[in-house]
Amino acid sequence: MVGNDIVDLAEARYASNWQRPRFLNKLFTESEQRYIQDAKNPFQMVWRLWSMKEASYKLYTQQYPRRFYDPKGFECTFQNNSGTVKFKGFQSYVETKETSNYIISEARLHIQKWSSKVVKFKTVDQQDQSEELKTRLLNYVGSAYQLQKSELDIPTLNNGKEQFHISLTHHGCYGAFAIG
Amino acid sequence: MTKEQLIAKLKPIIEPYIQDEEAFKNLSEDTDFVKDLKINSANLVDIILDIEDEFDIRLENEDMEQMLNVKSAMGIVTSKLEN
Repeated sequence: MVGNDIVDLAEARYASNWQRPRFLNKLFTESEQRYIQDAKNPFQMVWRLWSMKEASYKLYTQQYPRRFYDPKGFECTFQNNSGTVKFKGFQSYVETKETSNYIISEARLHIQKWSSKVVKFKTVDQQDQSEELKTRLLNYVGSAYQLQKSELDIPTLNNGKEQFHISLTHHGCYGAFAIG
Repeated sequence: MTKEQLIAKLKPIIEPYIQDEEAFKNLSEDTDFVKDLKINSANLVDIILDIEDEFDIRLENEDMEQMLNVKSAMGIVTSKLEN
């Protein structure tokens, strides 16, 4: 099982305003708000924490399938690029990579090798990007596999014999897939 | 406020964040913010904040947890306005 989440920083700058009143308090715990306050680049820290939470939520829903929106419930701590995210009794290990264009996090139940492959989309339309990401994934794993999505939108790969979890993410002009 | 009036008030709040025009045109109680309207989860909080401002209410964590579709948004607004 794996959960990943990518944030296109240009898109985040354009589509969200982390400085609007009550925004931080709705999404981040007190200790996370301190990370943001103390950061050299608070904008970058907001989206870093956000991608860690989202990656962890996607992993959580593979284990306990249900949909909900409780970003504040997922609490992040980290040192350098490695962190943990806890939600109630659940704990995940999250690695994060940052470039000047995007931030990507990958969550696992146990510490494991990084697997997310980042895609820079050639298309703009959301539907087209989604297809592009799927095609890239299937090219990578081979044509024997089919992509399936559950009722709750949780994706898996299936070749008739075995099935495994994957995670897909896209934001702005970047996307990524990770194999569980 | 009737259901229709409430939906009419919610629509312009939701519109700036949608990424599927067709699904938005057909918006109903059963419309899902993420699955149907393709709203980015990072923008769900903006919808929540905009709803708070528009109706002068405050949502708690438990309320936010269900904020994934039009029906729950309507339910939460209605219950807050009654209190």
